[in-house]
Amino acid sequence: MAKKLVVKDRERCIGCYSCMFACTRTWYGAVGIEKSAMRVKNYPGVEGAFSVRVCQACKDPECAAACPTGALRVSKRGFGVELVKELCIHCRKCIKACAANALQWDEQEQVPIVCHHCGVCVRYCPTEVLAMEEVG
Amino acid sequence: MYRMLSVDLTNGKIEEKDVTELFERFVGGTGVLTYLAMQEITADLDPFSETSPIYFAIGPLNGYFPSMSKTVAMFRSPLTGDLGESHAGGRLHLAMLSANVHVLRIVGKSEKPVYLSIDGDDVSLVPCSSLWGRSALATERILREKEDQRKGKKSIVRIGPAGERLSPIAAVTVDSSRHFGRLGLGAIMGSKNLKAIVISGSNCPKIEDRRSYQLLYDRIFQELVESENTYKYRDLGTAANVIPLSKIMGLPTRNFSQGFFESAQNISGEHFADQLLAQQISCAHCPIGCIHMGVLRELFADPHMYKTLKTSYDHELIYSLGSNISVSKAEEVLKLIHFVERQGWDAISIGVVLAWATEAFQRGLITSEETDGLALNFGDTETYLKVLENIARGKNEFYRDLEKGVHHCAKKYGGEDFAICFNKNEAPGYMTGPDAFVGYAVGVRHSHLDCAGYSVDQKYLGRSEDIEREVKTMYEEGVWRVLTNSLVMCLFARGVYAPQKVVECLNVVGFDIDEPKMNQIARTVHGMKYLLKERLGFKFTNLSLPKKLTNVYTSRGKMNESDFEKRVELYFKFVEEDKRLASRAL
Repeated sequence: MAKKLVVKDRERCIGCYSCMFACTRTWYGAVGIEKSAMRVKNYPGVEGAFSVRVCQACKDPECAAACPTGALRVSKRGFGVELVKELCIHCRKCIKACAANALQWDEQEQVPIVCHHCGVCVRYCPTEVLAMEEVG
Repeated sequence: MYRMLSVDLTNGKIEEKDVTELFERFVGGTGVLTYLAMQEITADLDPFSETSPIYFAIGPLNGYFPSMSKTVAMFRSPLTGDLGESHAGGRLHLAMLSANVHVLRIVGKSEKPVYLSIDGDDVSLVPCSSLWGRSALATERILREKEDQRKGKKSIVRIGPAGERLSPIAAVTVDSSRHFGRLGLGAIMGSKNLKAIVISGSNCPKIEDRRSYQLLYDRIFQELVESENTYKYRDLGTAANVIPLSKIMGLPTRNFSQGFFESAQNISGEHFADQLLAQQISCAHCPIGCIHMGVLRELFADPHMYKTLKTSYDHELIYSLGSNISVSKAEEVLKLIHFVERQGWDAISIGVVLAWATEAFQRGLITSEETDGLALNFGDTETYLKVLENIARGKNEFYRDLEKGVHHCAKKYGGEDFAICFNKNEAPGYMTGPDAFVGYAVGVRHSHLDCAGYSVDQKYLGRSEDIEREVKTMYEEGVWRVLTNSLVMCLFARGVYAPQKVVECLNVVGFDIDEPKMNQIARTVHGMKYLLKERLGFKFTNLSLPKKLTNVYTSRGKMNESDFEKRVELYFKFVEEDKRLASRAL
């Protein structure tokens, strides 16, 4: 069965961002976190509480439904999305459509950053916040 | 390409400069900044003048490798008059890399309070008079919310009211709870009417050789997560030192009267972890997670109205606001830390000042006339909180003096023999013996972290001394740390990043370097630092051991002045060679 990325235990997060570095490194061959398909967010003034946003691996994704050109579409896996970059008109409708606020935007390329549910972020999480889970 | 961004607060002028050549010569971080400071910091420069520069820098490995998670700041210290250098973690290194700013240079003076906003290429000065007077904690909270719309992880660097009052022991706070703590950078920001810096960006540098990089990264990452070297920092944190140090009489207690603290157990890392630890957090891109957040729940109205404070704790704070003023309850230590965090003082310095003031009061050098009726007693947290409040309010001349540092106070009120500072900088939390003290004195920034004398002392416990070898070990460590501070690495990862591994990392990011060349650069920068320090008035022959410390029992017994002088002399000889190297390189 195919697996998807999930947040297993958010409260264990120490905010090291190793997951986002791993994602950016693996999929973009770059150093940093801004190209990562997931986000660890900290709240203003709340010491040490992190919110971890990952692609929800929807089977009927709101983001793809909102795409006017079909650039963002359901992945061949049957859940989550994939991007046909050439079709993207950079309208950001997909970002707004994701109610979980999980889909990320590439500021440089002006396209959405899709999660491949590859699990590389899970491998670098030192406190087991993230996990791969069978898609039900 | 490595880039320097210069901001002139007087006229708002912003300039960019390619500093790649400097990174090739001096690696980055402290190496590059020392060179830049040499060009600009002159003997007659007033730290609070318009022309007084503040520099921040990262190095070539920040972002690329885990636990390369620090940023270096350089300036002329208003506390010592000497070269000021301080390091902080948090997200700043990552935000600088993301903004493609490897060096940030700030000069000038704004007419009114501003914060510097760097959002990628968008750089501006934002008026913020309404933030003036706000605590260091509130300022972060407000700015994080205000700047929430911008893309990219922000780092928020700011001062509290102590910096606004130009206290030369004012710190600069980074993100939730990291600091450029030492040597008074906060006062320089205050003098420039610069309340804060908010920095972010979306730059992600491309990796050239992906395969070699990934293999090396994985080796290092795994070691950082699994190794014994980092475990203690994650588990109890630096507070793990409290009990072992007290056992060997190395934990400064009641203004360095003794190294054994009878209540060490109650303020130990173990006690904090069992009773008050909320969670560990980490700096950006560091899997160690050494930041220990303590949580304090307090009843403020009967029967069930509670408030909760969350504050990070570390060994140095537990020493300075715990054992050294004989505070024996962890909850009270947290309360004191929280007050200090809000004001934005260097927690080490303010604790040493409190300890000195208590001893001065008990010896009759200061009276209740100065203290406005307060009787100072070791261990009396309630009174200490009142003292801090009085300093924050600038209640009278005495309280205004207290935040000028212990050297200033002792000169004015007496008690120099028990003002525990080295080169005017308040001492850190180890009284393990001669190497700790000599290290504070001779180190480039008068920190225990310069050459780790406290650790050398502990290696010689129960062994006969070998002065020459001990000093040589400290010198070599001092030189190596110049290199790690140029990267800019967190010292907690030092056990994982051996010199050969650092060479591999530098090679992967495109540096043509080997161990001998690396050592040569480190020694050159080390020499440069002392050339600059001497220009600013530092002299090895002026260094002295506070009289009281010649009469206390350390982990290695009593230490006398001639022993101190002999070790300083030996260190001086090593430095002379590095100064020659530096002169040739310049």
